[in-house]
Amino acid sequence: MNSPFHHLDLADVRPGMVLSDMLLDRQGQVLLPKGAVLTANIIALLPRHGIDRLPVLRSISEGEAPVPIDETAVTAQLAKLFRRLDLSLEANSAALALQTYVADYRLEREIAP
Amino acid sequence: MSTHALHIDDLVRQLDDLPSLPAVVMELLTSIDQEDVDISVLAKKVSHDQALTAKTLRLANSSTYGLQVKVTTIQQAITFLGFQTTRNLITAAAVTGCFAQGLCKGFDDKAFWRHSIATAVCARVLARRLRFNQDYAFTAGLLHDIGRLVLVTMYPEPYAETIAKSVQDDIDLLDAERAVLGIDHVAAGLKLAEQWKFSDTIMMAISHHHDPDTVGAGVLAHIVHVANAIVHALDMVGDAKEAVPPLSPVAWKAMGLSEEAYVHVFRETEVQFDEIAAALIS
Repeated sequence: MNSPFHHLDLADVRPGMVLSDMLLDRQGQVLLPKGAVLTANIIALLPRHGIDRLPVLRSISEGEAPVPIDETAVTAQLAKLFRRLDLSLEANSAALALQTYVADYRLEREIAP
Repeated sequence: MSTHALHIDDLVRQLDDLPSLPAVVMELLTSIDQEDVDISVLAKKVSHDQALTAKTLRLANSSTYGLQVKVTTIQQAITFLGFQTTRNLITAAAVTGCFAQGLCKGFDDKAFWRHSIATAVCARVLARRLRFNQDYAFTAGLLHDIGRLVLVTMYPEPYAETIAKSVQDDIDLLDAERAVLGIDHVAAGLKLAEQWKFSDTIMMAISHHHDPDTVGAGVLAHIVHVANAIVHALDMVGDAKEAVPPLSPVAWKAMGLSEEAYVHVFRETEVQFDEIAAALIS
């Protein structure tokens, strides 16, 4: 129960899940390294390599007992990290995007593919 | 006018006093473009340096490289990972151990390497998505700020003033270097890279990691520039004074990644970082 990872049937694997171990094919060749984030494309290709179950990190694979995220703290921390840049300027448009993406990542928001 | 008005020529004259890489690492670096290298001879030479060998093997056996068997010799690492990857691991193991620590007040060597390693890991993750050479990306990420160590080693006291100014005025260390020293870590890093005979590609990346918009800066400079900003934004070093530097929209767009892809890059970087850092900083 407290194991940081578990094996899931391919049918239960969703994009965004993270491999908790390297993934080998039938010949023992490495398909994906540990820590790889699974995408819909990768998942679709796995049956071709004979993969029907794979090890994924538990925290991301299940919604059970999620650690509550302190949105205010995350926002304040990001504001502090980007304090030297005036994000209203066009020259900092990429920095603004980066800040938004990191916020979405930290807050585990749904991202439109 | 900067406080110390150092000149890059002064630095070049003193470069010989800097730590040098083990002879065999120099040999590996200069052999990059040679096709007739006798790998077994090089492997044997590296094996004579036990500390270097141990560190290289620790890195090779980290799960990032996905080996199914533990490699126990350099020759084995070359067999399983290939010559280029192994050479990069040896380089990484060598550079992270060759500078003296604790020379300069306010300069945190561990934090320096944590930032460099995180940038290396992130650059490698980005490179994989861009189908760019991942070994080059890792090495360029690891070495992008190496000029800081040159400045810290050569001018410990002026550099302590530089750090103090950057903290006091809350400005980029790069700007503080220019204001206090008159030279910056980019120029210093480039000189060291020449001395150490790094390849032109790596030199271009070191040279332009703060100004990737320069014509001809190259994809690698873009990758390192973006990886550097991501690592600052993810606050991976855990420094209280952490601040994200300017991020070039040109380099950002050159990655051609969606938000979904960037979020995956963030996660992969964080997952892979701890193990690589543990292998390199001991």
